[in-house]
Amino acid sequence: MPSTAVGNRPEDLTARLDIAAAGDGEEGLLRVLREVKNQIIGNKTKKLLYLQLGVVPRIVSALGSARDPAIIVQAAAAIGSFACGVEDGVRAVIDADAVPRLFNVLSHANDKVVDAGARSLRMIFQSKLAPKYDFLKEKNMKFLISLLNSDNDNVTELAASIVAHSCEARAEQKALCDAGALQRLVDLLEGSSYQKDACLDSIAAIIRKNSEVGMHFASIGTGKALNSIVKLIKDRNPRTRLLACVCVISIGHASPYYVQDLQTRTKMMLILVELLEESGRVGDDAPFALSDLVLDDEELHKQAISVNAVEKICNSLHKNQIHPRRLQGILLVFAELCSRLEECRCLLISQQVLSTLANALKHDSPDVRVAACTCITNLSRSVKNLSAGHLSNETFIVPLVQLLHDTSMSLQVAALGAICNVVVDFAAQKLLYIQSGCIKQLVQLSKSMDSTLRLKAVSALRNVTFLADTISKESIILELTISTLASLICDSETAIQQQALALVGNLVDGYADSTKHIFADDGLIMNAVVRQLRSAFSAEICIQGMLLLSNIAAGFEPHKEAVMSYLVSPHDDESFPFIMRFLQSKESLLRTTAVWCIVNLTYPDNPNSSTRVARLRDAGIISQIKTMINDPCLDTKYRVRTALEQCMTLENNSP
Amino acid sequence: MPVRVVESSAPSQVAGQDASNQHALSPACSLLSVGRAFSGTQNVSSLQKDEAWRVNVRIQGCDLDHGYLCGTMEALNVPLADTPVVTFWEGEIVDMKNYTFYTGKWEATPENDIKHWSKFPAFSSLLSQVEADGGKSLDLSNYPYIFMRWKEQYFVNVGTDCGLTIAGFYYVCFSCSDGSINGFYYDPNSSPFQKLELKFTNEDRSGFTFSSYQLQ
Repeated sequence: MPSTAVGNRPEDLTARLDIAAAGDGEEGLLRVLREVKNQIIGNKTKKLLYLQLGVVPRIVSALGSARDPAIIVQAAAAIGSFACGVEDGVRAVIDADAVPRLFNVLSHANDKVVDAGARSLRMIFQSKLAPKYDFLKEKNMKFLISLLNSDNDNVTELAASIVAHSCEARAEQKALCDAGALQRLVDLLEGSSYQKDACLDSIAAIIRKNSEVGMHFASIGTGKALNSIVKLIKDRNPRTRLLACVCVISIGHASPYYVQDLQTRTKMMLILVELLEESGRVGDDAPFALSDLVLDDEELHKQAISVNAVEKICNSLHKNQIHPRRLQGILLVFAELCSRLEECRCLLISQQVLSTLANALKHDSPDVRVAACTCITNLSRSVKNLSAGHLSNETFIVPLVQLLHDTSMSLQVAALGAICNVVVDFAAQKLLYIQSGCIKQLVQLSKSMDSTLRLKAVSALRNVTFLADTISKESIILELTISTLASLICDSETAIQQQALALVGNLVDGYADSTKHIFADDGLIMNAVVRQLRSAFSAEICIQGMLLLSNIAAGFEPHKEAVMSYLVSPHDDESFPFIMRFLQSKESLLRTTAVWCIVNLTYPDNPNSSTRVARLRDAGIISQIKTMINDPCLDTKYRVRTALEQCMTLENNSP
Repeated sequence: MPVRVVESSAPSQVAGQDASNQHALSPACSLLSVGRAFSGTQNVSSLQKDEAWRVNVRIQGCDLDHGYLCGTMEALNVPLADTPVVTFWEGEIVDMKNYTFYTGKWEATPENDIKHWSKFPAFSSLLSQVEADGGKSLDLSNYPYIFMRWKEQYFVNVGTDCGLTIAGFYYVCFSCSDGSINGFYYDPNSSPFQKLELKFTNEDRSGFTFSSYQLQ
């Protein structure tokens, strides 16, 4: 006989498992299974050791072939334990094909066996790695509903877990709703605390972003179902409170009509803020529910200020060792709260979250870094904050530029969003952005194959050139190069063309020297602009293009002459000059920009302005403008008057 | 523009808004768009002496949907300051949707409001309607003048201990035709009706130019 001490080592037990499974008797197998199960419960190290020894497939095999209920119970319990809290364990259990075998166990005549099977499956379905259950197969749906209708609490709880884990598509939500799952889940809310939580979780999954199902739910028992969940937001159990909130939030998003009471929404906000004090998963999940609750809800953003929710959330931030997931969630709450209201942005700045944000940009977790970028983007939607320079300093710019180099595109996109706003700092000097490598990297990303990155990079370059000084603009042009600018103006994406035109417009504004670049390389940029103006269907492109031409026409004589030549001489494939089309456009902004260009070409005190007036008259442009003297758009009308007054003065003064 | 401290005041309650611009042009008036510059004077005369400070203004943000405008104001020859003093201000556009002619804050009574607005000739044709129903029935969207209140929020380049105050606010009338701005500073603790007169400037360019940004 082997001694007990030696025989109970994992290696020994694994060997004994093989022997027992090979036909050494059911009693031996039962003993070994029980011993393994007892050793691994709550012992991660042991679980990993057994996983390495390949014990899981052996136990699953024993489960499949056993007839003795006691063996099935021990095998199921051991499998459930391997799947509890250890991802490698879940993986091993799934790979060994335990799930269908455990489902078979649920049909066993012995209640204890069913219990063990259900408990084990519940452990598996708590993990994200668990397989998705296909509700759309009629047989599967019937089986699931039979589980939900079971008298066994473990089985109903399992059914709810399966729904919570697997229900994602609208068709699945609808199928579950049609099969009566919602009604049954509401009935089960009366059960144990665990069962209640599992049901709330699954109700939220069935309703999420599905207004049809949401409305159906709200009508169950003429609102009684919804009321019973609303009551649970005050439950004693923190997890139940969280899940009830998640559920009500889902219903609110799916069918806002049923959760429009500001008092309930405010109450949920305060409950979720309180839950941030909880340790573990409840506290980590609470901010995500909170950010979902306040999503696009300006009324609730105001409430967050008046009930001091922002201060309370900030307090929870200042605790030591905040879990990355919780930090990510809180930053997303902040991002949402300051997405619309200036008051929220000011409050966050006054609560000194800036240092937390700066640190979060360098956090190990990419999710935290993305959340920090989102928060900075929204915080910097405030011109007041931008003008005060709260965010346009090295503390933020340097890590943001670092993130532009990240291999993750979602991080690059998030960082670009923040940079886009932060660079609008209203300072003429842009040294920080040049020296930090920001411009260099933006230029690199403006050449990306991905259109989202390209668009955001060009938008950021446009913003950084807003009212920039001569030296900064020159550096940016050198980095960008004329050929890149020209190709961006002709990009395949209209949004990028528009940003590129606005960027060149900013570069030219008030900086006559940069206008020389527009005509360099045989007029590469100018030709691209005019090509767009001649062919673009989008009014937005034409408006940006005309603003750019107006800026050039506010330069020196040669610049005015160059613009003039494009306006008065129709291209081969044009019936008349594009400026005429714009002056006759239904789009008032386009008419206004076209008139602005004429105002600049006929600007007084320029030697050749009189000649230009004559040429504009010959081209029929002055006649067209005269017809606009009572333009329905007030702005256009005033600009037309300015243009005509200038023309008249020049003509009267000409020899 | 800051004035000398007389007594401390409560912080402003003005709430700003997103000021994201797709174009360089504001749809209401292209002379009231981001980047635009204005220069002129503010008369700060008192009983003791005549005095006017040179003032430059630049528009930094404009969000007509929310009746919001903001920018900086630079006072050039402020006696107490070594350098020009720059302040950041936020504006409420009287559009009868977001804001009316009645201020309802900043220690301005309806009587103060009417007294100040009436100083603008462009307001005279609106007065009776404003007195009758607060101006609710007025459609100002196509009116050739834009009425605003500008409230300075903070000093940009000097500390709050600079001996100056920004407690008051301006009643402003902007002309859409030529971009001229007239205003009256109101602060119960300062000389009444200090007049602000600004003209649109194209900053030595040979025409009108347009710069823009777009927030995400």
